[in-house]
Amino acid sequence: MHPTTASPLAAAYFDGVTSRRHRVTLVVEEGIASIVGEVERQCALAELRVSEASRHGARIVTYPDGAYLEIEDKAAFSRLLASTGHRGALVARLQQSWRATLLAAAGMAIALLLLWRFALPLVADMVAAAVPASVEQALGKRVLEELDQRYFAASALPQSEQQRIAAQFAQLASALDGAPPYRLLFRKSRIGPNALALPSGQIVLTDELVRRLGDDSEALMGVLAHELGHLQQRHLMRRVVHATATGAAAMALFGDASAMLATVPAVLLDLKYSRGAELEADDFAAGLMKAAGLDPARLAVALERLAGDGGRSEGYLSSHPATGERVVRLRGGR
Amino acid sequence: MTTVARPPALQSVIVEPLRFTGSGSEYFRIWITNTFLTIVTLGIYSAWAKVRRTRYFYANTRLADASFDYHGKPTAILKGRIVALVLLVAYQLASESTRLLAAALFVLALGGMPWLIWKSLQFRLYNSSYRGIRFGFAGSLAGAYIAYLLWPVLASFTGFLLAPFAHQRIKRFQHTQSRYGAIHFDFNAGVGSFYLTYLKALLVMLAGVAVLGVLFSGALAMVAKRGVEHTSYGNVLAFVAALYAWFFLVIPVFSAMMQNLVWNHTSIGPHRFESRVSPARVLFIALTNLLAIICTLGLYTPFAKIRMMKYRIEAMALLADGSLDDFVADAQARAGALGEGMADLLDLDLAL
Repeated sequence: MHPTTASPLAAAYFDGVTSRRHRVTLVVEEGIASIVGEVERQCALAELRVSEASRHGARIVTYPDGAYLEIEDKAAFSRLLASTGHRGALVARLQQSWRATLLAAAGMAIALLLLWRFALPLVADMVAAAVPASVEQALGKRVLEELDQRYFAASALPQSEQQRIAAQFAQLASALDGAPPYRLLFRKSRIGPNALALPSGQIVLTDELVRRLGDDSEALMGVLAHELGHLQQRHLMRRVVHATATGAAAMALFGDASAMLATVPAVLLDLKYSRGAELEADDFAAGLMKAAGLDPARLAVALERLAGDGGRSEGYLSSHPATGERVVRLRGGR
Repeated sequence: MTTVARPPALQSVIVEPLRFTGSGSEYFRIWITNTFLTIVTLGIYSAWAKVRRTRYFYANTRLADASFDYHGKPTAILKGRIVALVLLVAYQLASESTRLLAAALFVLALGGMPWLIWKSLQFRLYNSSYRGIRFGFAGSLAGAYIAYLLWPVLASFTGFLLAPFAHQRIKRFQHTQSRYGAIHFDFNAGVGSFYLTYLKALLVMLAGVAVLGVLFSGALAMVAKRGVEHTSYGNVLAFVAALYAWFFLVIPVFSAMMQNLVWNHTSIGPHRFESRVSPARVLFIALTNLLAIICTLGLYTPFAKIRMMKYRIEAMALLADGSLDDFVADAQARAGALGEGMADLLDLDLAL
């Protein structure tokens, strides 16, 4: 860092008051930058701000009052900067180096993976736990209204059968301490056999599902226990938080390219999350059924019978993991 | 597209094309490094990243042998982003609960939007400079409410028949109220030309849908004959995906048409602008970018951005009538960054 006399550099000077371009030459001597030519001005190096290097963009030296110099000969200017001991911001140097870029890319992949794998579920759980019950009630109510409008009609099951199922399930649920409160609702469905758990604690059971499993009430109990598992784990609320967070992250990363592509990773990750949620709910159901003296394999039977007719293959891109995988888990007694 | 009447009598007019010297590989490095730092600082660095990126774009945009510069302060932008994030999360949580509250918040957000856009325009323009002279925005808040709330709301009540009209009012507001130094830009595109551009874009979109319809006619005929359930799942899915991609690709085509319309009718003092973007070329770039991004799992993203920017910027020129040396800086007003940070998060497209 010794004062050097470098050769004069051609530059354009803009005074910040008019748009006029002044031709000048820049000389640096003993910590003072002097320009001569159409304008003459002297300034201490410490007061000047140098723009970051880029391959094609001009280098700009800004004075404290907003006036600036634009220098075309970047190579000569870099030598001049080096002779004055100027190094530039760390990030500016990093982003000019391919090695640093590759390291950053690897670091980014690892950081993203860690955040997604460990931090996000933790945050999702915390947020889901912090959501007041009233919000969950309101959310569940809205979802149910929407479903009632589009897909559901009043149940056509006889009152006696509804009561029998409700009573049987109440008995099953009481077998386990800490089973969440729930309300069982019956609906006739336009989307085939289905059962779903809403964040408000309601479990909706469709007539079609009851009929499909009608002769096997233990299988039906297995399905309901699975839905109770979703409630117990607060899956829907956690999923909302999870999906929102991954969506926002994906948008931040890829958003400036295209909004459509940015949604793809979020959707894939959400599907992965819901696969995990299905398995968790299965585990809960298996535990509950065992506690009540039922065989968890009855849920496997229900799954097989429900999958039997759809005919649509369930691949990775399915919100339910392959039925086979779940059946094997349940039969395995886990 | 829109033809530019270049008065032949004026011998003094010099065509100064805009140049963009940004490179995909360099921007790739900037993108990776800044994204990494943003992630490990849990988003705090994003404000610095934004300034670095913007300065890179500005420094690589050249006109008449001088480049642009960006002066936004990262700390100011960070503050705006934090406020915006808090508001956004509160809005999300509240809008999940009751309908009444959600509706009230929506009205509130809608009412606040013009103010936000107004602040954002001020910040962005005030912090941009060319040849050491800052840009600025002189539009009034009332003007912002008329342009960004009154006309769009009216347009939505007419089933968007008034949308081109509202769009013209917005662009007119932006372009007549923008300043370079002490001089206002001028804008003279009429409502009729906006309707014409919308009509053209609509025809392009419908033509694309028709082409897709022919390509997938087999699958569609099957659906018509036997219903959706009995058609091969893959064909229907491919058609829907192609349709989705097409609507996505029409957006840059439309914005290219808009760029031509708006800039061919913008002037500053005696100088005029010219924009000759070819919508077909933009479509080609957008399509190949999309494919490359998919094939590289997103790594092509920064290259794609630079490629599109380069084409669209270099399609523009300033028709300089006389010297560019005579602009004078305005008594410079300050501009808060709150609006800018919020507009960022809400993803408002305010690009000039």
